[in-house]
Amino acid sequence: MTSLTKMATFMDVNLVRYLCTCGKRLPPCRLYLCRHCLKLRCADCVQHEVDSPYCPNCLENMPASEAKLKKNRCSNCFDCPICGHTLMTRATSQMVPSSEDPSKSTPKKMYYMACSFCRWTTRDGGLADQSTSNGGWKDEENPEAKRINTLLESYRSIAQREKAEKERKKYVKRRSHAGFQDRYGLTSVAMKWKIQPAMSNLSVKETEKVPPAPELVSPVEDFDPLPSEIFSDIVQLDKVTYLSHRLNAPEFQPPATKDLRPVHKHLLVRRSLRCRECDHNLSKPDFNPLSIKFKIQLIALNHIPEIRIMAPATFSVNKETVVTFTLSNPSVYSTVVKLLPIEGDTDLDYMTAKVDLPKSDLVLALHDDTAVYDDGTKAQQEFKDDPRVVVFRRANKLGFAAKVTPFCKEGEVKVSFMMKHEFRNTAAAIQSEDKEPKLEWLEHRIFINLGRIQL
Amino acid sequence: MELQDIYYSSAEYIETASGNKVSRQSVLCGSQNIVINGKSIVMTDCVIRGDLANVRIGRFCVVSKRAVIRPAFKKFSKGVAFFPLHIGDHVFIGEDSIVNAAQVGSFVHIGKNCVIGRRSVLKDCCAIADNTVLPPETVVPPFTIFSGSPGKVNGELPECTQDLMTDVTSSFYQHFRPHGKGK
Repeated sequence: MTSLTKMATFMDVNLVRYLCTCGKRLPPCRLYLCRHCLKLRCADCVQHEVDSPYCPNCLENMPASEAKLKKNRCSNCFDCPICGHTLMTRATSQMVPSSEDPSKSTPKKMYYMACSFCRWTTRDGGLADQSTSNGGWKDEENPEAKRINTLLESYRSIAQREKAEKERKKYVKRRSHAGFQDRYGLTSVAMKWKIQPAMSNLSVKETEKVPPAPELVSPVEDFDPLPSEIFSDIVQLDKVTYLSHRLNAPEFQPPATKDLRPVHKHLLVRRSLRCRECDHNLSKPDFNPLSIKFKIQLIALNHIPEIRIMAPATFSVNKETVVTFTLSNPSVYSTVVKLLPIEGDTDLDYMTAKVDLPKSDLVLALHDDTAVYDDGTKAQQEFKDDPRVVVFRRANKLGFAAKVTPFCKEGEVKVSFMMKHEFRNTAAAIQSEDKEPKLEWLEHRIFINLGRIQL
Repeated sequence: MELQDIYYSSAEYIETASGNKVSRQSVLCGSQNIVINGKSIVMTDCVIRGDLANVRIGRFCVVSKRAVIRPAFKKFSKGVAFFPLHIGDHVFIGEDSIVNAAQVGSFVHIGKNCVIGRRSVLKDCCAIADNTVLPPETVVPPFTIFSGSPGKVNGELPECTQDLMTDVTSSFYQHFRPHGKGK
């Protein structure tokens, strides 16, 4: 996973992590900021909702109910049973007897599927070519389908019955608290009997019929002995499937390669995320699986100042090293950032060095999309920076120096501190229709991995 | 970590008026068919086969060393036909990769040493891990990471991939500086 998250950005995003409300440490591109709770959230502490399942090959999307009916697989796209790559339709012409004159034969276009990676074709699986290009491939029926359906049906009726019973109990309880429990000298059991006839039209009638229990499967008691050929015949490994091939088709688990069949492609999902506390959306993608736009996207990276390490530095034990960090402001308002040390916490797990942070407030310029076209001379005059603290300033970014002294002998140099920053809550402003968005102070704990100690 | 400066000798690269930086050691076949929209970098020993079909590369793209960009062909009953190749904006192509795709969207990261098979379609905001082999005609949907051989879905990209890739490619361009020339 680490190499993959690194992939996403080319820079190593995992060096600087923020503490999520749930206690996980994640880079800001993997965190969300709920604008209503003003807390950080990550993919593990929010509610995931499936928006639209789609096929990763033909990119067709469908409602979740339809996807469920198709067992979350695409009906048109197939995977190779050997290597898992998508199968491609190939056309050939076959000579078939002409309809007018059976003695003559005419060419007819026939289609089969082939894998362009491992060269498996549907002909290898013993499937006849099809006359239509788009499918017409019949799925084999699961040998256990009948049994599975009877089981499903009986469990469904049991579940229904249990649900009805639960609802009835709820109702009975409420009535029993109404205040006439023992007025007539009835015990509660007897009273239930009294109430039940009145309830019968609600649920009892449906559940009176106890669903027939599914037929029990008799256990296998003994096996036939292995055929003697198994010891004498030479094993042809190229004709035997791998375990992964068998598990690809769990309903058939073909032992021989000639029995392999194309596998319907699994669907992927587009999903939206919701805060568990306030039920507001944190991320809502566009319905179309091809679109990269979002209706709602509350990534922490776009709302809270981001800290990065400016350049790699070399460290040695108990020696002070000046490290430059950069701070960038994603907000369209200029933001004040305070960096606070963490006192009294000496967990070597995430703190193996002492860090001297700038004591003064750092003022970040606002994020301006047109700033790329400026030459950047203007910005320096606006802020009166201490040159010992602020190393450089460019558009919405600034570089600050901090002294890091490792106190462990070897291993990684890790520091941790708090970042307190202004946040203008634009969500609250819309509700109260104020002109100026409300100012809040947010505090995040930051963990930075600076590199290894030089020995 | 911020990207570090990468220096090149100013004699080796040609900088065009639109800000493209193209190495003199790269091979651009059929250069009249190659359009690079600006602020893109084509590094040493790259091959771009414009002689096969039109190649259009967007803004802020990086084509790393020894990468090959080659339009895809398809066999028809009467010979073969090559398809023009469009690469979007903010695309990073790693070293030694061979891109034989029909389409590469925007904000795409292709790792090192990859093979992007013939007529593959890479949609916007996707990533291909290092050493991946994508078989011909693979479709890579948005926000997925493909890896392995044959390449398969192996992860999801964060929702802010667009911002991350924009930041990476534009800061790569900023940090790709000539030395020798005091600029």
